[in-house]
Amino acid sequence: MNIIIEALQGGLGGLASYLAAHVLLCLVPAFFIAGALSALVPQQSIIRFLGPDASKWVSYPAAAGAGSLLAVCSCTIQPLFAGIYKKGAGLGPAITFLFFAPAANILALSYTGVALGADFAIARIVLALSFGIGIGMIMAIIFRRGEEARLAQSEAFSAGEGISRKALVFLLALVALLIAGTLKLDFLKAVLFSIELPIHGAAGLQSLLDILVPVDEAVGAEGLSVQGLFLIALLALIGAAAWRGLGQVDNGFNRLTPVALGLTALTLVVAALGVRVSETGLLLTVSVRTAAVAALCAVLVPLARRFDPWDVQQWLWETWRFVKQIFPLLVVGVFLVGVIRIFIRPEWIQAVAGSNTVLANLAGVVFGVFMYFPTLVEVPIAKMFLSLGMHPGPLIAYLMADPELSLQSILITSAIIGKLKAWTYVGFVALFSTLAGLTYGAWVDGTSLWLLAMLVGGFVALLLGALHLVDRSSRARTV
Amino acid sequence: MLIKILGSGCAKCNRLEQLTREVLTEQGLNATFEHVTAMDEIMAYPIMTTPALVVDEVVKVSGRIPSKDEIAVWLKA
Repeated sequence: MNIIIEALQGGLGGLASYLAAHVLLCLVPAFFIAGALSALVPQQSIIRFLGPDASKWVSYPAAAGAGSLLAVCSCTIQPLFAGIYKKGAGLGPAITFLFFAPAANILALSYTGVALGADFAIARIVLALSFGIGIGMIMAIIFRRGEEARLAQSEAFSAGEGISRKALVFLLALVALLIAGTLKLDFLKAVLFSIELPIHGAAGLQSLLDILVPVDEAVGAEGLSVQGLFLIALLALIGAAAWRGLGQVDNGFNRLTPVALGLTALTLVVAALGVRVSETGLLLTVSVRTAAVAALCAVLVPLARRFDPWDVQQWLWETWRFVKQIFPLLVVGVFLVGVIRIFIRPEWIQAVAGSNTVLANLAGVVFGVFMYFPTLVEVPIAKMFLSLGMHPGPLIAYLMADPELSLQSILITSAIIGKLKAWTYVGFVALFSTLAGLTYGAWVDGTSLWLLAMLVGGFVALLLGALHLVDRSSRARTV
Repeated sequence: MLIKILGSGCAKCNRLEQLTREVLTEQGLNATFEHVTAMDEIMAYPIMTTPALVVDEVVKVSGRIPSKDEIAVWLKA
């Protein structure tokens, strides 16, 4: 009986501290950015660089760009992948796109940065970019001969309209909001002024919360503050207002639309506020971060007014659609991670993946391939592993392999590019994820960056060279 | 008039179909509807992104949801 209560408490505690701490300043702006990318950026502005005549120097980076900018929605990944492969730049860039998209879209990246730390987010994007392009090029060389028979449809890659200046400014303001809210910089922490609110129940409420959601540094349980409780209440209010206010905004703005947006801005500002419980009440601290978040929220209003009402409605509708699609899965996922957390002994994790060995990295990859978690749930799971003592190297190996490889994505890929190519791709992803983990782990353990860059570069060059030779000799034989 | 909605059945595709049907009723037009979900058939059109609206085999829009006014212009032409 006791263990069930403990497990439920673990789940709820994880969920409470997750809702109060991690989501707000990173995921809320990230959802709005994802909505804006989906609604305001004309997809043709990137797709035109992926035509059949594009040079390698343009098509591979453009495929990566499409992965991080356009592919926030599964609606786009499948047709874009099929399109790039069948009519456009070909197998290589299509593979780069497929590999890069789940690791480098704005939601995954900002959430990784806040939950696991900026170094993990940077490692994820750098390793995914270099290995994504590497795997794409290798696949293009291996399957070079099957490449000629493709549809020639250059009209699909016509120039179309680019990103408008107002959309760009708007996106930059949203990104600035995300950065101001999340980045751990000293000047953002500088205190402007603080006020004390004489709320006498505060201290009592906090001690009650400490009993309900205990803080335990050793197992990574963060507890719940009074501020967190207030934020969760605000989130519930936003949910209630946004159901109609944002969910039906495509039929025209309604009365609840400004309510939902106002509550969202308020939530962000409160989350950026420093709140401490003192003996006589609540001590509120306004830092540069608080001021910056508030100012950026205010700036967004006139910037949004420059768009057609239809575009703004599309933006809000898309944003809410992302929230509806991803958020419930995340909540369930975080709860379950909190429950499972109770049953896993740190010694198990440390025995399997406590140090940066080839075997440990392989274990991370295998776990990633056989477990399928919905979008973004890989992040709280990684956080759990980290707090249980997993080495950062195997953790990166897992983070690379999990979103890239799941049974579902393997089936979709093999339907489009064929079984042989799909399984070759799977093999390379497994190989390179292990390599990525080893590299990152070695860097964390203190190996110099230059040595590692040389080793990885040498390995990839060796692989490319070998493939090139094999290709040449097999071609010479057929001639 | 033959109207095709191209898309794998995602939320945006259904939204596009709904909007197009509303415009048809408002304008008092008649049309045959087809929702194409097979990736091979979708890829036969010169598009890279879904949802897409095809009127009498001509692609009118892809990758975004057009406003009702835009749809009305395409359907009446």
